[in-house]
Amino acid sequence: MDTKKLSKDKFGDFMAILSRQKKLYVPQKEGESLRFAPVTAGSQPDLAFPNTTVPPKSVLFPQTETLYQFEQGNTDMSLPGEGEERVLFGVRPCDARAMAIVDSLFSWDVDDPYYLTRREQTTLLGLSCLEPGTNCFCTSVGGGPASTEGLDMLLTDLGEAFLLQTVTEKGEKIIQSVPELLEEATAEDLKAAEKLSQEAAVRIARGIDTDGIPEKLPGLWENPLWKDFSESCLGCGICTFLCPTCHCFDIQDEMEGFEGRRCRMWDSCMFSEYTLHASGHNPRPSRHERTRNRVNHKYSYFVKNFGTIACVGCGRCINLCPVNIDILNILSQVVKEAI
Amino acid sequence: MVDLEKLKTAARETVSRDDVKYLIGWRQGTYGFRVSPHFVKEPEEAEKLIFSPLCTNNLATYLVLTERLPLPRGEQPDSRKVALMVKGCDSRAVVQQLIEQGIKRESVLIIGCPCEGVIDLKKVEEKFPHLPGPAQARWSNGNIVFHLPDGDKEVPKGEVLAAKCLSCRYPNPVMTDLMLWEEVQTRGNDEYDDITELEAKSPQERWLFWEDKFSSCIRCYSCRNVCPMCYCEDCVLDRLNPAWVFRSNNISENTAFHLARAFHLAGRCIECGECERVCPVGIPLMKLNRKLAKEVKEKYEYIPGLDPESKPLQSSYRPDDKEDFIL
Repeated sequence: MDTKKLSKDKFGDFMAILSRQKKLYVPQKEGESLRFAPVTAGSQPDLAFPNTTVPPKSVLFPQTETLYQFEQGNTDMSLPGEGEERVLFGVRPCDARAMAIVDSLFSWDVDDPYYLTRREQTTLLGLSCLEPGTNCFCTSVGGGPASTEGLDMLLTDLGEAFLLQTVTEKGEKIIQSVPELLEEATAEDLKAAEKLSQEAAVRIARGIDTDGIPEKLPGLWENPLWKDFSESCLGCGICTFLCPTCHCFDIQDEMEGFEGRRCRMWDSCMFSEYTLHASGHNPRPSRHERTRNRVNHKYSYFVKNFGTIACVGCGRCINLCPVNIDILNILSQVVKEAI
Repeated sequence: MVDLEKLKTAARETVSRDDVKYLIGWRQGTYGFRVSPHFVKEPEEAEKLIFSPLCTNNLATYLVLTERLPLPRGEQPDSRKVALMVKGCDSRAVVQQLIEQGIKRESVLIIGCPCEGVIDLKKVEEKFPHLPGPAQARWSNGNIVFHLPDGDKEVPKGEVLAAKCLSCRYPNPVMTDLMLWEEVQTRGNDEYDDITELEAKSPQERWLFWEDKFSSCIRCYSCRNVCPMCYCEDCVLDRLNPAWVFRSNNISENTAFHLARAFHLAGRCIECGECERVCPVGIPLMKLNRKLAKEVKEKYEYIPGLDPESKPLQSSYRPDDKEDFIL
């Protein structure tokens, strides 16, 4: 599609115009964590990161969302508003790929109107990942520092300017709305961007050859590796809540006085009550079954259902696990095991 | 002085005993300065054990995190001992679990590792970022030496130690079955300086401070799960009927969760700092815990996790307890 160049001294104007057009989200520090939040007066985008702590899935699939509200003794329901057009700036290619992956889940047998409406209303402006983090491994799972899958436009920091490459019509529209700020990109610019992303890909130090893993996993169901790797698991929700492709949710009715709301919120297969039946029986009674499920879901079940691994190699689950349970380590053991 | 050979020999001997199920220690992690808990079941697995300034995890959590699944009819539960390697702070967690009868004395074998202070991983990763391969560190004459791919780097302790270690009063395990090497000198004097700034604020300012912190909480419950003192079989947070704390992530429910967590630790928290260490969004939970610990110490002259024969704070009423703070 289209390629343009945005000089850095016009970057402020570019962002200002974007924020007038739509609700603009950028990565911002919240305490010690980094997450996508709406731009307000005085808020500063923080773009010097390999990855945000909380992935941008939190905008399209919020941790808690109210589906409708009701009052006791009254059959009327009030639905939330229509939503609004948003633009997310600074999305890493891995996180955008995660959305492309999750799209197929949320439009599978039944369309999920909440996610899909928001997805439709959102424009994703990506930022090439030129300084990959220690545990990044996107190149092992089909991604790359300049992957455009899931994005509407990709920006690459060329030093003095950004190179803008549109991917979809939504991205085109953004470019068309700010012609006065943009210059034509030259062949050298494109070459420079490609060189930068290739160099970044070389700096990705960790990885795994995923060939054969999805086919092998079902045969390792009773393998002792699950117990070995989950022995130190605390059973917390870090690896799943902060995973850009984890999409499980719970639905709860919450009453306060006579007013209630039906809402859905992130759930985690690492919690014991995730699979707890009303009878009291729990088919995944211990942490090793839950760890096995987490890896199998990403590297086996999702592949079977949708033809793609549901892991984008962002490294968050490795970076943030308090006890160093490392999915690359688990996968390399899977590769080693004989069925 | 850390004697790794002695540690490994002790571990080998311990796991060879018929009455020991396994030993829990630390091993080098998969990358950078990460360390992983290591469960030693066979003597040869003891080779991987380490003890260094990187061994932050409080392993006492695993004494109470054990899953008690229903057993097939006629089968007896495995009642063998769990051997546990502890630093000073970790040992206080074991003692507090004993005080509360959360564990039985005969079910645990405590192996003491006098400790010169462990790192704050965030501080270290800021200094030495991007280490995809495993790297080690050791104590050396009041400094910490980091073994990096391009050579050793010696850093003064003050720059990289965890905050809890800078004011540590209990570097030596307070109770052991086996002490691995000679005791180290107590560092610092704890005056609770880290919370005075917050205490001096008005209630309004304090509320704004915590509102900001609690609103970034993602309710992953890692702080609860890692805590060696959070071991209720049925946690109030997991209850759905009635739901004491709603699942919704908002400032009201998040505050309810954090208040419940903090208050349940009053007079019980042994200040190992694990909750704050594991928090993925950096909520300064130790400020809450230490405020409570300070109150408990000042009002009741009670310090948890020191004497296994003592009573828990809540069941140690004395007629002369101070009452000046009761409205």
